[in-house]
Amino acid sequence: MALWMEAGSEPKTETEIADLQAIAALKESTALELKENGNELVKKGKKHYQEAIDCYSRAIDQKALNDQDTSVLYSNRAHVNLLLGNFRRAFNDSQHAIKLSPANIKAYYRAAKACLSLNLLSEAKSYCESGIEKDPSNEELKKLAKQIDLKKMEQEHREAQVSKALAEAKELVSAIEDRRLKLGNAMYRELTGLRKPVLDKNGILHWPVLLLYAEVMSSDFIEDFCETDMFSAHLDIISVYHFESCPPLPWDEKNHYSREAIELYYEAGSGICLSKTKILRYLLEGTAAANVESIGEEEKDAADGYPHGNSAGSSKWVKVNEKRTLHDVLKEPNFIIPMIPVFYVVSKRSAFYKDFITGKWTPSV
Amino acid sequence: MATELEELIDFLTAPSPPVKKAAVGIVRGLTGSEDGLHSLSNYANTVLSSLSRLLSDEKEVSEPAAEALVNLSQNAGLAAKMVEMGMIKIAMDLLYKPGSSITRLLVMLLVNLTQLDDGISSLLQIGDDKMQGLYVMKLVRSFCRSSETSDDPFDHVGSILVNISKKEEGRKMLLDPKRGLLKQIIRQFDSSSPLRKKGVSGTIRNCCFEAENQLQNLLLISEFLWPALLLPVAGNKIYSEQDTSKMPLELGSALSIDREPVKDPEIRVQALEAIYLIALQEAGRRALWSVNGPRILQVGYEDEEDPKVMEAYEQIGSLLVHGNETEEPSTNTSK
Repeated sequence: MALWMEAGSEPKTETEIADLQAIAALKESTALELKENGNELVKKGKKHYQEAIDCYSRAIDQKALNDQDTSVLYSNRAHVNLLLGNFRRAFNDSQHAIKLSPANIKAYYRAAKACLSLNLLSEAKSYCESGIEKDPSNEELKKLAKQIDLKKMEQEHREAQVSKALAEAKELVSAIEDRRLKLGNAMYRELTGLRKPVLDKNGILHWPVLLLYAEVMSSDFIEDFCETDMFSAHLDIISVYHFESCPPLPWDEKNHYSREAIELYYEAGSGICLSKTKILRYLLEGTAAANVESIGEEEKDAADGYPHGNSAGSSKWVKVNEKRTLHDVLKEPNFIIPMIPVFYVVSKRSAFYKDFITGKWTPSV
Repeated sequence: MATELEELIDFLTAPSPPVKKAAVGIVRGLTGSEDGLHSLSNYANTVLSSLSRLLSDEKEVSEPAAEALVNLSQNAGLAAKMVEMGMIKIAMDLLYKPGSSITRLLVMLLVNLTQLDDGISSLLQIGDDKMQGLYVMKLVRSFCRSSETSDDPFDHVGSILVNISKKEEGRKMLLDPKRGLLKQIIRQFDSSSPLRKKGVSGTIRNCCFEAENQLQNLLLISEFLWPALLLPVAGNKIYSEQDTSKMPLELGSALSIDREPVKDPEIRVQALEAIYLIALQEAGRRALWSVNGPRILQVGYEDEEDPKVMEAYEQIGSLLVHGNETEEPSTNTSK
């Protein structure tokens, strides 16, 4: 506002000049008063925060203070916004404050805090560093910097875990594909839970295998069945645990399920072959990467939902030659592995055997 | 004699068939001697290209031409030149021309040419993305089929495979499960031809050098691999029921009956070396135990008299003793 008269302009009367000066002073004191009010309200507690913000906002609107003081207003408002959890607004206010007064250390602190809460970790770090540059002895900023570093490390660690889980699962899918195995939907999830096949450091697959005693639908698990192992070896071990020990299987009173009498079968025939993507999703369940959105599904999966086997929809029982390795049996073209291989155990000596063989029995799903 | 030799070489490309025939006969004779080879190698480029052109002529000319080239290719420098001028492609193209009468000779030529690194690369068709491995596939197929014919012209292919499996790219190609080459090759082990047996045995042994990185590609054909590796070193006795019950069918039934011993000690050594390479890996040892392999080696060792072979048995023995503690397949069962 010009306080002297230009040559040739309307002379302002002394009263007009005085009035204008009075208005300016009034605005200035109003702004300062509002600032004080705001500060008081903040001290009073949570219920008054919004009101405090209003005070600061009105103070800013007066447009009566210099840059340095206005910067303080913005930075105070940022502080309350932080307390209220309005991190985006706090960030904007802090930025404003810094622009108006680059020496406003508190503004840097609040900007960094806001960024930290918004998970903008690199920005948070850089605001912290700018603040420390201007005030090297500021302990609060240093503490905040350490906090940010810690969070960054945690984030990187998490990301590394996700990448690792994803890479491992992809390797597994690749190994399954190389062996031309067909995988279908998991069955008996209540029994198998989150069990998955595992690739060892020699590139050999180890499978958890579910054994179901069809006659009573009781179950057993072989936790680590290496694909190069023969069935006979594992059956030998199980029979030591169960059949030859006293007492035998609790429900097998007549001891039909002795080592020589048992036979193993798998269900062949119809079912849906899962696509690579679906298999990958199953393998990622329960891992760090379970919620990853895109897992490279760009290539069109040829086998997606591809039905396979008997068109009649009936399945049949195929006997397993126990002198074969797991891999040899799994790669049979008519075997659609329900994620975790399932084999049905029956005894030649039991009356149930005939029903099973003739297909009169079906597993209750 | 120089000008006479030059004239002779010129005659190889003469338009008159009887002249060509006479010339190539003389050249073939020259290649049979050190001096002759030496003189001819001064004109290597001309001689080699003229001879290779004669390969597509009728039998009376192509046969001596092929023989000459086979002799010349025993010299490393000349072999290198041949590879450089694309002899591998020429040979492969001619090999599969219907009515070819020089099949065996061409195969022998390839054996000599694949003694060189460049020859191997050329046969593997490494640079060519689309055609890579086509030659090898064709040769393996011929190798497997020709055992049924009376004259077996492809029996030397085994030696080609031994050569290419000296190189990592060759091993990778043979082990690639998508191509299924090793599986086909191993089946030839049963052949009665000692040349075939040796070729198969040497190839498997070389491929086992990839056990560290590609163990699964070896173990997943164990149905065929173990018989080929263990039967030659299983000794002469008939195995007991107790022993064979722990083996897969193909091993167990073969060892329950009288069998022809493998006479060539080199084949026995190669089999043991291959087993050793597999047993260096944990999963390899596990697989060996699961087919009752160590028992077979124990029995076989008892019958062995050749010192080199005995040493190979002992090498595996100490590896198995000092290997991991848990050798038996472990199982956790839970309800």
